[in-house]
Amino acid sequence: MAHKGEKTLSSTFPKEVTSRLGGETVALCYQCGTCASSCPVAKVTERFNPRELIKLSLLGEKQEVLSGSAIWLCCSCYKCQERCPQKVEIADVIYALRNMAIKEGNTPNIYSEFAAGLMSEGRIVPLSKFVEKKRPDFGLPPLKPAGVDALRKILSTTGFDKIQWKKEEAS
Amino acid sequence: MNKAKVGVFLSDCGNQLPEILDFDALISHVKQVSGVALVAKASEFWRGEGLKAIVGAIKDKKVNRVVVAESLPKLSEVNIVKAAEKAGLNPYLVEVIDLKDHCAMPHREKPSEATEKAKAMLLAAIERAKLLEPLDKLEFPALKSVLVIGGGIAGMQAAEDLADLGFKTHLVEKAPFLGGLAALAGRFFPTDDCAVCIQSPASDVKTITHTSRKCVYRSGFTEIPNLDILTNSKVVAVEGVPGNYKVTVEKKPRYVNALKCVRCDLCTTVCPVEVPDEHNAKLKTRKAIYMNIPNVHPPVYVIDESACKFHECAKCVEVCPTKAVELDQKSERKTLNVGGIVVATGFQEYDSSVIKEYHYGEYPDVITNLELARMIDGFGPTGGEIIRPSNKKPARRIVIIQCVGSRDRRWNPWCSGICCMISLKHAMLIKSAYPDADVSICYIDIRTTGREHEYYYERAREMGIKFVKGRPTEIVHDPEVNMLIVDVEDAILHSLLELEADLVVLAPAMVPTEGTKELAEMLGIDVDEDGFFKEYNAKLRPTETKRRGIFLCGGATFPKDAPTTSLHAHSAAVKAVKFLNTGKIVKDQKTAVVNEEYCGDCEFCPVTCPYGAISLVPKGEEHFVAQVSDLLCEGCGICVGTCPVNAIELRHARPNQMSAQMKALMSVNGTSKPLILAMCCSECGHTAVDSSGMAMMQYPANIRVMKVPCTGILQVHQFLEAFKAGAQGVMVVGCKSDGCHYEVGSQKAQKKVELAKVLLKEYGVEPERLEMFNMVFIEGDKFAEAAQVMTERLEKLGSLQLMASS
Repeated sequence: MAHKGEKTLSSTFPKEVTSRLGGETVALCYQCGTCASSCPVAKVTERFNPRELIKLSLLGEKQEVLSGSAIWLCCSCYKCQERCPQKVEIADVIYALRNMAIKEGNTPNIYSEFAAGLMSEGRIVPLSKFVEKKRPDFGLPPLKPAGVDALRKILSTTGFDKIQWKKEEAS
Repeated sequence: MNKAKVGVFLSDCGNQLPEILDFDALISHVKQVSGVALVAKASEFWRGEGLKAIVGAIKDKKVNRVVVAESLPKLSEVNIVKAAEKAGLNPYLVEVIDLKDHCAMPHREKPSEATEKAKAMLLAAIERAKLLEPLDKLEFPALKSVLVIGGGIAGMQAAEDLADLGFKTHLVEKAPFLGGLAALAGRFFPTDDCAVCIQSPASDVKTITHTSRKCVYRSGFTEIPNLDILTNSKVVAVEGVPGNYKVTVEKKPRYVNALKCVRCDLCTTVCPVEVPDEHNAKLKTRKAIYMNIPNVHPPVYVIDESACKFHECAKCVEVCPTKAVELDQKSERKTLNVGGIVVATGFQEYDSSVIKEYHYGEYPDVITNLELARMIDGFGPTGGEIIRPSNKKPARRIVIIQCVGSRDRRWNPWCSGICCMISLKHAMLIKSAYPDADVSICYIDIRTTGREHEYYYERAREMGIKFVKGRPTEIVHDPEVNMLIVDVEDAILHSLLELEADLVVLAPAMVPTEGTKELAEMLGIDVDEDGFFKEYNAKLRPTETKRRGIFLCGGATFPKDAPTTSLHAHSAAVKAVKFLNTGKIVKDQKTAVVNEEYCGDCEFCPVTCPYGAISLVPKGEEHFVAQVSDLLCEGCGICVGTCPVNAIELRHARPNQMSAQMKALMSVNGTSKPLILAMCCSECGHTAVDSSGMAMMQYPANIRVMKVPCTGILQVHQFLEAFKAGAQGVMVVGCKSDGCHYEVGSQKAQKKVELAKVLLKEYGVEPERLEMFNMVFIEGDKFAEAAQVMTERLEKLGSLQLMASS
């Protein structure tokens, strides 16, 4: 939560969220908590609660939402979205928030690594000798090369490569 | 028709107007207008000596048309028209205008401009008056009888009122017994008394136990004079017009003669058929011959056609001591001739089984509020014990879930309004009977907005009922211990809870009764977007429909609690009485009329008329013409605006009357500004002009106001005609698009304005010379502002060049 006395509320933040792809339905939320009780992540950690995340967004707690870890904990199972009585597209709202966070430079390391892997190897999970060796045991064929050049072209067209992935290190 | 002799009566409003308007100039201007036979000036003309002068002029045959310039015309017109009629003049030959609030006040800083405008206004009124035609007062017979559809609490109360007031009343109920949902509810909040308690009839049925309130079963309801009760019956066809409806009702056989049945119960004892009892949450069985609850009306058994074996068995026939069972009864059709219809079909619980995660219909221990009500009722299937349907053992851990399928945009977006109170009632009744019971209510918001309702909520908290702020995601069944687990987040505690329950009760949405849409179609009335019957005006006419003579009450328009239902029912009854009381419907003839020579086979006007007043009738071989019902026509003129060949006109707003008025208004300018014609609807538009004048708001005198019945009457060519008559700009001023007094007129006008703009562009005329404005009475400032804006806009555009090169 925001520290007392610290002015972090952004009155424009809810509007920013609704104007983004996926964020359009956020203001319909009436805090019934169906999402929270549906959420498999919330069951195992108190660090994530979709209802609370939406409330904070609607209150304009921009900093807490975008620089916190919660938005990165959603596992995108879409159960909340299925059951939301107000048709709030909760998982999609969270994607919108993630995009906003990345734009602010708040990317968790693991995502930066994913991005880097995708650009260099064409895979988000780097191949290990262990995996390559184990594949035949499960009857899987050897992995083909990922076609990095074509992928890079796509990523560059979409502007993916221009996103500043690494959070700038605080001095 | 005699030559028009117009009398012009100018009120100076207590010598207030001559300070601004030059009355001598006005009088001499008016005097030289052809057809004017008399001009008079007085302090006021709507009462006293002034009114006598008008009456005298009519009586002495000096005038046969009357134009009065008087303040507050909406008020003064009533008196003037009445007096004129009494003096022998057809009341439709009177034209009243307002020189004060439409001219002197808004232009008081420019007296000479105001005087010139007043000349134009007077000329317009005179020209219109000359072309007015005498119209009739129409009378239609109205039967002093009413059909009430639906025998629940609303229908019963409305029917009782109507019968007591001397109207032959037919009460049609589709179920075999009266009482509707109320009969099943057991008790009502916030008094916790019997749901079967109704107001005592004020009729002759007064017994020694007469009190102000009675049980249905003590009320003698079935014996009320003038009241004809048709249970097991359904309306299958409705024909006719307001005041004279012909309704066909299909009455299913009861197979038991009501006049012979003595309620001895022998028939149910011998009946071998057992079926689940739908009136008792299927928690017990009933026989094929049965009564749903013991205290029911009519107190006569009924045979369930789908279960009875009839002559194969016939044990009930044999045992009946009075030979009341008649297995050969046939279903019959009855025709009822009624003047009005009251729709009281109520609401029903939404089918909760569509919400898969709550497993209603799958887990037997998940039930609805209405099913719980049956358990709580001492007359019910469990004699008041709260049990688990799965094993019939007592339920002591009970979780109630609110907003099941309501406030839910996937199913029913509305708040049903009464379920919070119902659940509180149930929770408290359970807690009082079983203090050790653990009752929780899972809610999104508790809504207790009625009188004393909040105290009810307070009492529930004091009694130890638990409130969990959260809507559960799922009900899970643990088969090993036969227990239900309700998965919910308590938002206040910020914690995820798993509530263990023996019984889970759902508070389902309340939705329109099955068959609502079909009945609406039969009656020719609308349903709203949620599927409930739509009232004519939610604020002021909450029991009326767009069809005269058809009224609504109770849950048919939206879920209601008992007190509100009663209010609504009595209100509908009064409205029906008011409508039919004199045995006739009196209407003026300001209606539409078809010129059959021009009318082609198109279906525009019958489809567009919001009141279903126009039908196509055959004329000659394979040719149809439109025909207007004077009874149904409301005189808006939307048909006129729709007709592609000008074959339909309003008698009181004929094209020649409008165009004469238009030309006259454009005849004098007197200002240096471009003339603008403001075509205002007689409802909100024209009154907004009034209110701007009353508030002394200033706008330029180049604005000329012309009243039309509804902006829906306007046709594209009339905008062009206005420009031709000398207008540099045209304003169309109507009601708000969703607040049009004739439902769609304002929207139609908007479309025509848009179309006309396209045409203007084609002709090389700037489309922004034409604009539609929407406002209500209190928005006089909006009118003044619009007038200012349009004037400035036109000044910038310069003078109108017809057919200019682009």
